[in-house]
Amino acid sequence: MSATDFLFAIWPAILAGIVAAFVPREMSPRQRVALGFIAAIGLASVKWLWPSELPAVVAEGAKAPEEWPHLLNLIVGLPLVGGVVVMFMPRQLLSLVRGFTLVVMAAAFLASLGLLTVPMTAGWHFNYSKDWMPGLGIRYHVAVDGISLWLVILATFITPIAAFASFGSIKTRIKELCIALLFLEGAMIGAFVALDLFVFYVFWELVLVPMYLMIGIWGGTDRIKAAVKFFIYTMVGSVLLLAAILYLVWANQKLTGQWSFDYIDLSRVVLARPAQMLCFWAFSLAFFIKVPMWPVHTWLPDAHTEAPTGGSVILAAVLLKLGTYAYLRFSMGLFAGPASSLAANLAGVAVLGGVLYGALVAWKQQDVKRLVAYSSVAHLGYVMLGLFGATPSGMQGAVLQMVNHGISTGALFLLVGVIYDRRHTRQVDEFGGLAKVMPAYATLFLIVTFASVGVPGTNGFIGEFLVISGTYVSERLGVFGGIHTVGAAAGVILSAVYMLGVVQKMFFGPLTNPKNKHLPDLTPREALALAPLIVMIFVIGFFPGVFLDRMKDAIDMHHSQFKTVSGQAVLYSDEKDAKLLPEDVFSPAFLDGSPSRMTGPKDAEPHAKNDAANGGAK
Amino acid sequence: MTRLMAISPLLVVALGGVLLMLAEAFSHRREEGDVRHTGPSSELALGTAVTLLAGAIMAAAVWMVGPEKLETLPGLAPYYVADRFTLFFTFTICLGGALAALLAGGYLPEHKLDRGEFYPLLTFGTVGAILLAAAGDLLSLFIALETMSLAVYALTGFRRTSPRSTEAAVKYFLLGSFAAVLLLYGGALLYGATGHTDLAGIRAAIMHPAAAKPANLALVLVAAALILCGLAFKVSAVPFHMWTPDAYEGAPTPATGYMAVAVKTAAFAMMLRVLVGGFGDGALASWAAGWPPVLALLAVVTMTGANLVAGRQESVKRMLAYSSIAHAGYVLVAVATIPRASEEAQASVMYYLLAYTVSTIGAFGALVLCGSRGAEAVSYEDLAGLGKRHPAVAIAFTLFLLSLTGVPPTAGFFGKWYVAKTTIGAGLYPLAIVLLLNSALAAYYYLRVLVYMYMRDPAPGAPIAKPMRSGYVVGALVIAGVLVLALGIWPTTPIELAVQAALTAR
Repeated sequence: MSATDFLFAIWPAILAGIVAAFVPREMSPRQRVALGFIAAIGLASVKWLWPSELPAVVAEGAKAPEEWPHLLNLIVGLPLVGGVVVMFMPRQLLSLVRGFTLVVMAAAFLASLGLLTVPMTAGWHFNYSKDWMPGLGIRYHVAVDGISLWLVILATFITPIAAFASFGSIKTRIKELCIALLFLEGAMIGAFVALDLFVFYVFWELVLVPMYLMIGIWGGTDRIKAAVKFFIYTMVGSVLLLAAILYLVWANQKLTGQWSFDYIDLSRVVLARPAQMLCFWAFSLAFFIKVPMWPVHTWLPDAHTEAPTGGSVILAAVLLKLGTYAYLRFSMGLFAGPASSLAANLAGVAVLGGVLYGALVAWKQQDVKRLVAYSSVAHLGYVMLGLFGATPSGMQGAVLQMVNHGISTGALFLLVGVIYDRRHTRQVDEFGGLAKVMPAYATLFLIVTFASVGVPGTNGFIGEFLVISGTYVSERLGVFGGIHTVGAAAGVILSAVYMLGVVQKMFFGPLTNPKNKHLPDLTPREALALAPLIVMIFVIGFFPGVFLDRMKDAIDMHHSQFKTVSGQAVLYSDEKDAKLLPEDVFSPAFLDGSPSRMTGPKDAEPHAKNDAANGGAK
Repeated sequence: MTRLMAISPLLVVALGGVLLMLAEAFSHRREEGDVRHTGPSSELALGTAVTLLAGAIMAAAVWMVGPEKLETLPGLAPYYVADRFTLFFTFTICLGGALAALLAGGYLPEHKLDRGEFYPLLTFGTVGAILLAAAGDLLSLFIALETMSLAVYALTGFRRTSPRSTEAAVKYFLLGSFAAVLLLYGGALLYGATGHTDLAGIRAAIMHPAAAKPANLALVLVAAALILCGLAFKVSAVPFHMWTPDAYEGAPTPATGYMAVAVKTAAFAMMLRVLVGGFGDGALASWAAGWPPVLALLAVVTMTGANLVAGRQESVKRMLAYSSIAHAGYVLVAVATIPRASEEAQASVMYYLLAYTVSTIGAFGALVLCGSRGAEAVSYEDLAGLGKRHPAVAIAFTLFLLSLTGVPPTAGFFGKWYVAKTTIGAGLYPLAIVLLLNSALAAYYYLRVLVYMYMRDPAPGAPIAKPMRSGYVVGALVIAGVLVLALGIWPTTPIELAVQAALTAR
């Protein structure tokens, strides 16, 4: 691409930067430059999303653009290395520490936009693998597909916003905060892209410590209890996950004679029926705790209520997605049989315990933050319902809903943080008629509420609609599909009831409480933190195709594979012995990601043939 | 001269101990209560650390040469087995001892305990520990055990003026002698039953009852039970752990670290020697009638009991004592797996002990560094707000506690992971699950330290711990910290070495 083409491609971003830098009044030159820069990045990233930008790039070389194999390492490594660097910075230089953190996060975000430069065909992209502990079959293996792509971008998109918002309200121990945020970001991204179960587990556990510190150090009055509860809950889930991973790896070793922790290799293993069920539960329990699904959701309201605003935003927007993503990737990928046979029951739990119960409990909350926390339980119920239903549209809806929930709930927590910073209370009774004193705040709150409720034109509508329609046609849910659909649709109404109820109580009616009479409206910093989220609400709401197109191939592949493998798993599974599925069950695009295939043919071939013969005999 | 090569690690440490004793005798003696912060013991500490590290390096050197190729002194064989197993344990024990000596170099002058005999005691204790790991005969095993134990009894009671320290020493001494007597009694019965004191001979006699003198199997079983009791006492498994919290709490902290690390490692080496070398096959090593189910039960009781009690402690030192009991339980899981997965299980024991050594000595070291004269860090409250006042100390403490909890990417995580992997591979699923759930249970009390350090502020007027300044302690912490991360991120090599070091079952 020549320089003029490049200039032509980015002129809207430059224009946006100039407008943002010159239009606001009463700002210092430094703030103007920063604002202009952010506006330019924001516009460029939104523009970058459009697939129409791609052909121009592709046509240039007349072949698919090269995938730089180290891009994912860069995205994972930047925040982790940045965290280590911050550790050695002097704590007195607050602005240096804060600025460096934001720059590193912005760099990670820009790097993650690089993931959008290739057409997201089915299969793995930016595949990178390197032996870590060869004797034990552990490899550092990372890759993205159309599903994890969006979660990585969500993580790199939300974390800088959360960090920026935190710097507004948190004034103590900035250095520790920056270290925690950077490590948290690196670990979350690592967990989204890891394809080696050991590496995944390492990142999964690593996420706990910074989040624990964030809740415990900068949280509210009851923070220690909430932090410990969060840690112990997740830890219990993850040790069972570890046991199941090890069992699966041993089973694979006994079948193929090779040690491997690789997701792609392990997908071929069909465990004996009881073991399959136990391992599925061990995996899924860990993930359900993280999601969180009823009845293991009780850590979430506490953690959310006590966490500082930035912590809540990251927790709700990204951390919870680890659970849903991991269920989609690992539980459904490795244990298709149980995931399929238990789908109807689990979907019932998601509807009753998540969508309906979560909504009803949210309705009764007096604390706005707690209300938003329970609304997360309800929203993630939709995501899980979409995954249990396992139809292409349901799964697309689920993945899109993960992103949506990240954006709208993140924005809600930021908004709650704004009012908490002013009044140091979150009780709904304390407020009323705020729209008169804080009009801009009320407007944004209402927009985000609509997104959360799922009003057409906002992002929430698309996700929920896809999930509900997917549920209705799901063959996996059988006769319950209709009932679940009705339940889920009722949940949408309930969410309107609780969200609009709280909006009405807080913003409209008479301004009774004298303490609220002179509250200042949004500050530029708060508005700046919220702006990208508001933009994304409408971008996804009006142009969902941009997002759905990129994930479509990956979802279709995952779906068809889930369907085949779960069918084969029933045929293959045995009361006593584990077996290997033949390779032709999987699509070649899926298997091509495996490092062991990249190096050479497997010596497991005879086993597979034998097993195929056994399967045929049955 | 070349014949001494095989036992050079032991000789280096023993010779160093003698020299240290001489140096201590001729050094300027100083009364207790001297206010200066450096004394003769500082140099002695450095000397001890160098001696023990030299022992560790000699062990590594002999490893590279290959102990099989070396000629040894005639008649040494069953009493001192110079194999790779010995070398691996020598390395771990010397490393733990050297780090403990560095901690003592900072701790003793700071707390007015500046008496030089600490270091010869520690060095000779290490000689005993190395001998214990190498002993292939019940006689030398007992002598080594007593050498080590006597030194440690004295170290426990090192704070002469403190009734608590004396009580701890007396308690440890009495119970320790009792355990030693059980072990000796077991050995005597075993000799009566088989006519051998060397472990290989005992094993042969048990395995081949048709040999010249058939073993009395009933007597062997009684002897095995007695020996197991003695071993369980030495590794402080529940319900033989009662002495541990008191002894650990009463002893000066570097001595506590030494007991938790070197003594425990040596005790596990002895356990492996006896169980694998002496009772390694036949009915005694079976799950129907042998020691593995006993050890599995002990492991479960030890882990669960220690973790439950540790959560209720108010003193960090006591909590670390219970945590060391819990870790003994985790290692016992791996020991119980040995009959099913011999080499890998032994390797997991060895790797775990190495990881545990660096994490535990680091945790005790951080505790030492947190306190200063008159303001020793003991209870959780002492640590309140430390993360704000002294972030570097707090970060070091956090690292070691996370390693003990088993959070990746630390050595402690990989150790636990490897034990769990072996156990699951051996088909002992419930044992693995109990182990893993216990590590979640343990997270509670390790996190409590973090809670106090980072999330609580000291109550107004409450005594707070002031960190001391000591290059020795900081040096020990840096070494331990680097090892904790390095062993966690690149565990392949130590595990391969540990597999090579495993005792052959047949």
